[in-house]
Amino acid sequence: MATIPKVPVPDRELVGRMAEGEDIALGELYDRYGKTLYALALAIVREPADAEEVVVDAFGQAWRQATAFDPARGSVGAWLATIARSRALDVVRARGRRARAHERSALLSEDGIAAPIAGLGPDPSRGAEHSETRRLVAQALAGLPEPQRVAIQLAYFEGLSQSEIAERLAEPLGTIKTRMRTGMEKLRGLLRPLLEGAA
Amino acid sequence: MTTPHEWQDLAAPYALGALASDERQAFESHLAGCEGCRAEVRSFSEVAGLLAHGAPAAQPPAGLRGRVLAEAGRVRPISAGRRRASPAWLAAAAGLVLAVGAGVTAWRQNGRVRALEGRIATVDSTAAAAESALAMLTGPQVHMVSLAGTGRAPTARVFWNHTRGRFIVFAFDLPAAPAGRAYQLWAIAKGKAPMSMGTFNTDPTGRATIILPVGQEIASLGFVDDCGLTEEPAGGSPQPTETPRLLGAWLHTD
Repeated sequence: MATIPKVPVPDRELVGRMAEGEDIALGELYDRYGKTLYALALAIVREPADAEEVVVDAFGQAWRQATAFDPARGSVGAWLATIARSRALDVVRARGRRARAHERSALLSEDGIAAPIAGLGPDPSRGAEHSETRRLVAQALAGLPEPQRVAIQLAYFEGLSQSEIAERLAEPLGTIKTRMRTGMEKLRGLLRPLLEGAA
Repeated sequence: MTTPHEWQDLAAPYALGALASDERQAFESHLAGCEGCRAEVRSFSEVAGLLAHGAPAAQPPAGLRGRVLAEAGRVRPISAGRRRASPAWLAAAAGLVLAVGAGVTAWRQNGRVRALEGRIATVDSTAAAAESALAMLTGPQVHMVSLAGTGRAPTARVFWNHTRGRFIVFAFDLPAAPAGRAYQLWAIAKGKAPMSMGTFNTDPTGRATIILPVGQEIASLGFVDDCGLTEEPAGGSPQPTETPRLLGAWLHTD
């Protein structure tokens, strides 16, 4: 096990140490993001075993490509989330659309389309910092008008394009484009405190 | 005609991966020359990254950390200092593939074909693009080249479908070329100057699946010896401006 230093090492420094081949740094990065990426993967693939594969694959890719990480392009958290989401969507696409369509109809009918969005409840098993992030993100999502939240959610968690979303919701493409853009602008405003701390 | 304001509107859906592929390609070409839009994309990508925290809480199994570390133990990071032999990897990349013996090549090809079959399913592209690529790969008269770098460094595979006159390109672990730059593929025939096969770029996860038309000049040769990959200004160069980063010899498969 890695020893945890009293002053936290910045994420980007951990990635730099990974690029040098230090697997302790990878372990620390897992301790920071493993749970978030697992939850993200599970929300997309829905199967715990597949979610595990996605997480192993995503950290494997981050490990191999650590030298290519460029802090000027964004935070470590966003980089990892991009990789994990992309791998998870690969799994869903490879699995085919049939089973997925079944899940969707269940989702739409029971909990409403926004079901995968986290609730506002506390999560005692998580570190205080991540709990705070989750709380703020959930609050920001809850602050969006539902049509905007749904458009963003279908793109992010289901990997749908704008035209696929328009088709799914039987709405004009222009309407979906506006909702997505307006919703993301609003989210950016609501999440400003987190975004400023992300660098 | 797309106005600057309209371009900027694409930054948020781009960060969410929600643009149609033609729209995405047009926007990426625009991004190469527009710092304002690049800044918007960076900003919205951070917003998208935070959406990961919007997934319902879930407790990963206890053994997952160990599996992540075990996986890392199997491979080294690209160009990690500890294990790598000393020569500069550019020089190594040029020599490596040619040094591989015939028997080893056959063995590696089996593995590669199997790896390819497994990975085609997960290649980062739209379902339509993947289906189209598969149709091309399964046609008659297809040649393949594998481009390799050092160790676990980037790899690429290029299929040449003679019947349809298309190159199908798969790239893995190849970091996206910086803004204003692109990767360019070269057909190299002995005794001739390298001929451009086209340009592409990888996505933020280092992957690409691209279909390129085979130009008249290359098609008229019918077969070339080698294939190389260089990084060039976006839009491509008339001739390579650097030593190939990846290089391989075409194989006959029929």
